[in-house]
Amino acid sequence: MISILVGHWSELIEGMKYTIASSLLALVGSLILGVIFAMFVISPNKSLNVIGKIYVEIFRNIPLLVIAMFFYIVMPRIFPGLDGFKAGTIGLTIYTSAFIAETVRAGIESVPVGQMEAARSNGMAYLQAMRYIVLPQAIKIVVPSLGNQFVNLVKNSSVLAFLAGFDLMYQGNLIASTTFKTTDTYLAVGLLYLVMTMPLSYFMRYLEKRWSKTPTV
Amino acid sequence: MSMIEFHDVNKYYGKFKALKNINLTIERGEVVTIIGPSGSGKSTLLRTINGLELISSGQLLVDNHDLADPKTDMNRIRKNVGMVFQHFNLYANKTILQNITLGPEKVLKMSHVKAAEDAERLLSLVGLLDQAQKLPSMLSGGQKQRIAIARALAMHPKAILFDEPTSALDPEVIGDVLEVMKKVADQGMTMIVVTHEMGFAKEVGNRLVFMADGEIREDSNDPRAFFEAPKDPRAQEFLGKIIHVD
Amino acid sequence: MQHMRLKQLRLWCLLPLFILTLMLTACGQHVGEKDVMQTERETNEITWGVKGDMRLFGLTDIETGEIRGFEVDIAKAVSKEIFGKNVKVNFVPVNSNTRLPLLKNGNVDALIATMSITADRKKEIDFSDVYFNAGQAIMVKKGSKIKSVKDLTSGTKVIGIQGSNSVLNIKKYAPKSEVLQLSDAAQAFAALKSGQGDAMTTDNGILYGLTSDDPSYHVVGGSFTTEPYGIGVNKGQKKFLTAINKALKKIEKNGEYQKLVDKWFSQISGFDGSVVK
Repeated sequence: MISILVGHWSELIEGMKYTIASSLLALVGSLILGVIFAMFVISPNKSLNVIGKIYVEIFRNIPLLVIAMFFYIVMPRIFPGLDGFKAGTIGLTIYTSAFIAETVRAGIESVPVGQMEAARSNGMAYLQAMRYIVLPQAIKIVVPSLGNQFVNLVKNSSVLAFLAGFDLMYQGNLIASTTFKTTDTYLAVGLLYLVMTMPLSYFMRYLEKRWSKTPTV
Repeated sequence: MSMIEFHDVNKYYGKFKALKNINLTIERGEVVTIIGPSGSGKSTLLRTINGLELISSGQLLVDNHDLADPKTDMNRIRKNVGMVFQHFNLYANKTILQNITLGPEKVLKMSHVKAAEDAERLLSLVGLLDQAQKLPSMLSGGQKQRIAIARALAMHPKAILFDEPTSALDPEVIGDVLEVMKKVADQGMTMIVVTHEMGFAKEVGNRLVFMADGEIREDSNDPRAFFEAPKDPRAQEFLGKIIHVD
Repeated sequence: MQHMRLKQLRLWCLLPLFILTLMLTACGQHVGEKDVMQTERETNEITWGVKGDMRLFGLTDIETGEIRGFEVDIAKAVSKEIFGKNVKVNFVPVNSNTRLPLLKNGNVDALIATMSITADRKKEIDFSDVYFNAGQAIMVKKGSKIKSVKDLTSGTKVIGIQGSNSVLNIKKYAPKSEVLQLSDAAQAFAALKSGQGDAMTTDNGILYGLTSDDPSYHVVGGSFTTEPYGIGVNKGQKKFLTAINKALKKIEKNGEYQKLVDKWFSQISGFDGSVVK
């Protein structure tokens, strides 16, 4: 394993760069999309509600690989230039956002109704009430499960390997198939994933602790 | 120009009639207390005034705006009509100071400094200036409700709705909250108060509405006279059940 | 007590490993050591390992379950030459991972499964003479500016199959081109169709199969490596191998080979006649 790490360090680091870039983009994107679609799902507006529910149900129940393949194989006919990295990252974002939407929806629903009523009675518009009062409380409630989603996201970014997305898993596959040191290669790759996900887990746990003590988000 | 006008207002939940043919006009500066047995529609009536509940038929004018008109900006109505809840509903993620300044800053677009100055004045009014930096969860019920009143006042509303403001409080702190409410009344604020505090209704209120079964059964401009000799049989029964009226 | 439990736990952990080892060793055993010529004469039956998922060479017809293709036809012709017209010819679908073990275990008597003759494989099995001059080529959309592997200059992208020799080769022949590796031929072709790359590279046989499926693509520039296909038999089957080579020569001479080539490849645009003998 050490020989793989040493001998193929530059490829592995290159792969990690792509994995981290894809994960960060998907993390921000899926959080934004997830919150938006969570709000659609709980929206009193019927059509937004239906759109939100369909979105969540479709993308939560299709394998990530299928979604990513769709963006890699089908979408470039409409949007040329959608390469493996972009298609994989978009697929990852959408897939994860469906789970985050469900999580955030549950969080919003666990915030007492009185918070929304008080904010509305205070003159705030629906979106202002969401933004300043309900969502911050909802997010705080769901930080632990968001943490899980984010760790899963980093691991799921390995879907890029199937789309020639140059990520860590892709590089691992290439190294394994040229050196035939399959076990060592995947051990090294696993270790590097751990290096990326462990700090993320600790960071989310830190946030969880910190936010339980402070008022504002 | 009246503050609030109900004209033949009805409110249904499916087949259940929560409000029946309500006609009520409230003038500026009036302190109206609404009493009645539970399930009589008092809270529903109150919540229609700032649009937390929508009416099913009739006409409801608040500050000369027709609430049934889709062009009416509900946010503007709510800006002008504050509300104090039974369970306080302070913003759990904000400090006491932020609870009071958030509305003025985000809705009235007041500067942070001005909003904070205002908030401090209000905190002194309700006697809780030293609690400004705390979280709501660190306050007692009575303190929370005084903050909720300060939060409503910070918007400089034309009227404030009180939905059973003392029902969730321990008996020994009810006095503090009622005292603050009396101060607000003394400043000439239009107040509509759903309450079980007959003392407040008698001492502070200058008008009393008795509701039962979704209807207004008695509407009196002399609360003392009402308590001495209620005309409606349901009101007589209701007052009879209340052990001690001071 | 604690110690005992731990020990038991360890034993249970070892069990799957043990089973796996057993299975692997079983696979390695050489069962096919009887003389094929003799047993086939007795049973009047021969079993070939062929590709089941490879257009033009050996593809399973979903409706009938029958495997059809150039290699299947060659196998039939060779069998008849050796054992006579009434021999019963069976076909077993194999893939790149299963074909050698299946031959060694005696599940099949011979392999005709797009298998290139390589020095490494020669250590394991024997090969007949060449029946198809396979080699690596590139395939592009018709009308593409790329006419041969030399046109894969910097700024171009070429799609290959992950872990295959063809990917290592293309890095030699077109070092400036960016190589995108996908997990199999079907995915690589889908990626080419959706514009992820300018060309696709792998064995010409596979590429011909793909172009027969979608004629808007064609193989260009001929093959730039030589990786000829041969029929594989177990070592120690010298008589059988000699018979196969004799049969191959015979069908070549009597025109049957050419007929089969025409049957399968004449419609393929860009088909390079030099790949056949």
